[in-house]
Amino acid sequence: MEKYTVRNKIRKLRFQNNEMTQEQLAEKAGVTRQTIIAIESAKYSPSLELAFRIALAFGVPLGDVFSYDPEDESNQIINK
Amino acid sequence: MSYQEKSVTVSLVSYLLILGYYLTRIVTMFQDGGLVSSQLFGLWAIVIVGTILVNILGNILANIVLSIVHAIRTRTNKVERYIADERDKLIDLKGEKIAYITFSVGVFLSMLIFALGQPALVMFGLIIFFSISAEIVGSISQIFLYRRGF
Repeated sequence: MEKYTVRNKIRKLRFQNNEMTQEQLAEKAGVTRQTIIAIESAKYSPSLELAFRIALAFGVPLGDVFSYDPEDESNQIINK
Repeated sequence: MSYQEKSVTVSLVSYLLILGYYLTRIVTMFQDGGLVSSQLFGLWAIVIVGTILVNILGNILANIVLSIVHAIRTRTNKVERYIADERDKLIDLKGEKIAYITFSVGVFLSMLIFALGQPALVMFGLIIFFSISAEIVGSISQIFLYRRGF
């Protein structure tokens, strides 16, 4: 079975939203800044509820923040 | 470092202090001619009550000190948010699971030693030792998970 991974565009979206800080996003999503850092660096996959809260903080659909892609593909995208 | 991580670190330090005290007293008892049940029961009571008190007092003190440091550093009266989010809760659960497994292995080993002919005092002494050690292992694993991200 092919391995999949959760990827996110939080860093890009923060930049597009008036360079929102991690602390501001954490406050909007109701979590600690450390959790945002862990999610942003793909070390922690958030629950569905938190993922929705993060998307809500940016005012975009969930799919615009998170995606579930094959691991190889994600490596290629990161390397691009 | 988040508030939760600091809290776990304070707990770890307090458990290490208690374990250090316990081992020192046990070694002293052995040097004085072996385990005496009356002294040992007293030591267990001190260790159990001490663990609870030191942990609570340590966390309260750390809370006060960290709030003061935070206020001085940020130069605001804004209180740092002491929330435990889903990642904190998951790390807490993982730490507890690791501590539980460590304690279970410890109890098994203690009982094995009793079954091999050692006195009951040694078995209970080892159970107390493993209960504190399990908390230490759990705290270390929590700090490791916090440092790694998850």
